[in-house]
Amino acid sequence: MFWRMVKGALFRQKGKMAMIAFTVALGASLSTAMLNVMLDVGDKVNQELKAYGANINVMPKGASLLDDLYGVREGGGVSDKYLKESELGGIKTIFWAFNIVDFAPYLETRVRVNALEDEIKLAGTWFSHHLELPTGESLDTGMVNMKNWWDVSGQWLTDQDTDGAMVGSLLAGRGGIQTGDSIRITSGSQSVSLEVKGIFHAGSDEDEQIFVPLPVVQELTDREGFVSRVEVSALTTPDNELSRRAAQNPKSLSIKEWETWYCTAYVSAICYQIDEVVTDSVSKPIRQVAESEGAILEKTQLLMLLITVLCLVGSALGISNLVTASVMERSKEIGLLKAVGANNAPVSWLILTEILCTGITGGVAGYFAGLGFAQIIGHSVFGSAVDIKPMVIPIVAVLVFAVTLAGSVPSIRYILSLRPAEVLHGR
Amino acid sequence: MGMLELIDISKIYGSVNALRNIGLTVDQGEWLAIMGPSGSGKTTLMNIVGCMDKPSQGAVILDGVNISKESAKNLTAIRRDKIGLIFQQFHLISYLTALENVMAAQYYHSMPDEGEALEALARVGLKDRAKHFPSQLSGGEQQRVCIARALINYPMLILADEPTGNLDEANEGIVLEILRKLHQDGSTIIVVTHDPEVAEQAQRTVVLEHGRIARIIRNTSPGPGAGPSL
Amino acid sequence: MKKQSFYVKMTVNSLIRRRSRMFVALLAVAIGATVLSGLITIYYDIPRQMGQEFRSYGANLILVSSGGESTLSAAGVESAKPYFPPASVVGIAPYRYEAVKINEQPFMAAGTDLEEAKKTSPYWLVNGRWPAGAGEALIGQEVADTIRLLPGSTFALTGTDADGAGFSRDFSVSGVLQTGGTEEAFIFMSLADLGEMAGDSGRIDIVECSVSASEASLNQIAAEITSHVPDITPRLVKRVTQSEGTVLAKLQSLVYLVTVVVLLLTMICVATTMMAVVAERRKEIGLKKALGAANSAIVREFLGEGLILGGLGGLLGVALGFVFAQTVSMNVFNRPITFQPFLIPATLAASVAVTGLACLLPVRNAANVDPAIVLRGE
Repeated sequence: MFWRMVKGALFRQKGKMAMIAFTVALGASLSTAMLNVMLDVGDKVNQELKAYGANINVMPKGASLLDDLYGVREGGGVSDKYLKESELGGIKTIFWAFNIVDFAPYLETRVRVNALEDEIKLAGTWFSHHLELPTGESLDTGMVNMKNWWDVSGQWLTDQDTDGAMVGSLLAGRGGIQTGDSIRITSGSQSVSLEVKGIFHAGSDEDEQIFVPLPVVQELTDREGFVSRVEVSALTTPDNELSRRAAQNPKSLSIKEWETWYCTAYVSAICYQIDEVVTDSVSKPIRQVAESEGAILEKTQLLMLLITVLCLVGSALGISNLVTASVMERSKEIGLLKAVGANNAPVSWLILTEILCTGITGGVAGYFAGLGFAQIIGHSVFGSAVDIKPMVIPIVAVLVFAVTLAGSVPSIRYILSLRPAEVLHGR
Repeated sequence: MGMLELIDISKIYGSVNALRNIGLTVDQGEWLAIMGPSGSGKTTLMNIVGCMDKPSQGAVILDGVNISKESAKNLTAIRRDKIGLIFQQFHLISYLTALENVMAAQYYHSMPDEGEALEALARVGLKDRAKHFPSQLSGGEQQRVCIARALINYPMLILADEPTGNLDEANEGIVLEILRKLHQDGSTIIVVTHDPEVAEQAQRTVVLEHGRIARIIRNTSPGPGAGPSL
Repeated sequence: MKKQSFYVKMTVNSLIRRRSRMFVALLAVAIGATVLSGLITIYYDIPRQMGQEFRSYGANLILVSSGGESTLSAAGVESAKPYFPPASVVGIAPYRYEAVKINEQPFMAAGTDLEEAKKTSPYWLVNGRWPAGAGEALIGQEVADTIRLLPGSTFALTGTDADGAGFSRDFSVSGVLQTGGTEEAFIFMSLADLGEMAGDSGRIDIVECSVSASEASLNQIAAEITSHVPDITPRLVKRVTQSEGTVLAKLQSLVYLVTVVVLLLTMICVATTMMAVVAERRKEIGLKKALGAANSAIVREFLGEGLILGGLGGLLGVALGFVFAQTVSMNVFNRPITFQPFLIPATLAASVAVTGLACLLPVRNAANVDPAIVLRGE
């Protein structure tokens, strides 16, 4: 009889129950969408932040960074140490290989260009290099992906353009070089003539440099198979106390800490793993990028978390509100059941069962609708799908359950506290 | 010609014939009772007369106007101007006081007038309960508020649906006494009831059975002081 | 009594004397309005707040000399400063570089305004502390490794000044700098210290500016400086400015989309609650019709209640939404949020409109119902 009454209420009061189910579905879909987006927003923003370029610099042991800033190149530390080009594929085979977004090797040298007086930095690199990994996978990586903020007039080089070059905008302006021109590059006794395929504006000291495919520089300098440094762009987890300690000295960690550190995508852990696969290399996080990424990521996640909490609280209140309203509406029916001799407990169970059945139906429908919402958000904002996290299911389930209970229990108690006669005579 | 004329009306719900070929004339100032068992068509007849429903066939002429073909909107206006309704369940608005409930009827009709509404409450003996809410009034008092509300706009016809159905004997007496006084003052009253004692108070009792008028009884001994005004 | 005043009385009484039910409805409206005003406040404040965070990437505009000489003067830099909007400047740090020697090994010394450098380069990791006064220097990790210096140790810096005379001065290491970049090969000290030693004080090689502004307004600042201060060429650090623009736009559109979705759902929530509240009063509607109320009169009454609810809920929502946005901002960014005054009328209008509509639909339905059926149906 109990189930018969539940069934009766569910099917004969279709309109009202549908409304509750609909609202629960809305709330559940909102929660599902927000939770999924929130849990994935870290990865997504991290991808976007890759526009800031590499966050790890891999250099040969003992090499100096001196040669970089604002064209300062006096002083010592210029060494003859190089990394092996053949080992670079290994970077994509480390524990956190999946987090390595892109990398590009550089072999740099100073050359004379046309009749210009001073020495210009010439960098050989991969533009979009195809790599076959020992694991059987393959990937394309290089400058085109890593320097996507460059303004290029003309076109990007390809790795096959061994007689082409890309010239920085400042250098081009100074030397009167235009796209399509031919430039003469001299290094020591060797010289080579290249066609300018593109002029780029990078807004940094790269605007004073020339970029060509890696083999051109290797030939020019007689260093076949070598590169002088590698820039790596990796997705990383924001630093914490553990990673800072590890960055100082990985050997200071206990075995358990070491394992946690090694198996987390801290920038220091990724650096450590790169050093393991590339002989005689030292990887350093570029703090300007790594640190800022961490900060922005943290803020974004916190922001999304708080917005999600607002949404959850909002939909929870909305649902329990509606449930309260619809239970109140049934005061007469409850009064009648009591008048014909029903005890409080069975009456409460009856109503609760009805509402929970409705809530579960709505919750399931809402979950799937929410997945849809999450994908819409993912595609329209980040242009990629949002990962579906299974852990959202129990959260939403608990939420729906708690919220419908919270909405119905107090109102049922309130109505039960009234005397049936009062209710039936309609106050 | 009567104030209300029902000419050969029938009402069909699907395959159910709720009313069949009813013909009835009610004169100005008459007190009529409609009796009959459940399902005899009392309520249907009451709804048609109260401008809340339309007959499937036949004509209803109220005050010289055929209302059986009017639109719902016009029926609402006619009901507002010419008919006062009294319900078995009182149907007072819970969040308004007794006085305000009466005034609501004025509001929909024309203009709320507190003095007039108080006067109407005085006529049903509830002047001192004017500021009470329906939940603070007894059933009999609620029904008296309902009556006051029904007469506030000087309706041509007072239509009462089981006015004493929810009341005890003492309150039933009070309500009947008020109706009697209204009748004396010249109001036309139609009471739908299944209580023979209530029906006896009227001048005429129409007994419905299976949607037909089974018989019409002229009450020879209407209540004290009552009588046809014509 | 006037007709209007009875209308007002009836509407207000309906709200006040049915407190518990109306509270439920008011709560629903207030929640909706809170979500609306809170999220929109955040949406408008994101570029400003997040823009501040992005300043941790360091300088986004550098000033270099435009003449044949490759140096700037302190006076020239001062004349460029007024073109930066003061509110959005995070830091402006001038740098001067000199070749120096420690133990006859060549190094680069950089003189800067240390306080400003701290602001423009928040990503610098200093082991030890920043130099506090004269005679203290911050040395790059690479320098520290090469000559084995630790915070607290002292070293002698030698070199030749502008007039060609040699100098030598002792410095103590206040801290060791890690950046992962070229800065690790430098020795940082105050501009005054470097000027005293090397002479020619007032000479500046480059100025790093960190300005919290969009790429467009940075371009505008750059254009103004170019036209008013001919000695100085401003250059945008493209990697920073452009990427910041992209990421900020994505973030903002994320919050925008979330706001739209949330808004849609809360509106529906408000509507269903209002529908439930109205559905409960079908009998009352039937009665009023039986008393002769025209459909329009009934609709008008419910609309009046709806508008009052919407207005009250909207006001509550404006206040609570601001509190929410403020909480978020203080928690996430540690900064107060700017209040958007236009949100008051916007939120009010939206909540009144939604509540009114949510009332209107079920009331119109109910008003079309035959009064006889409602009154009879127990």
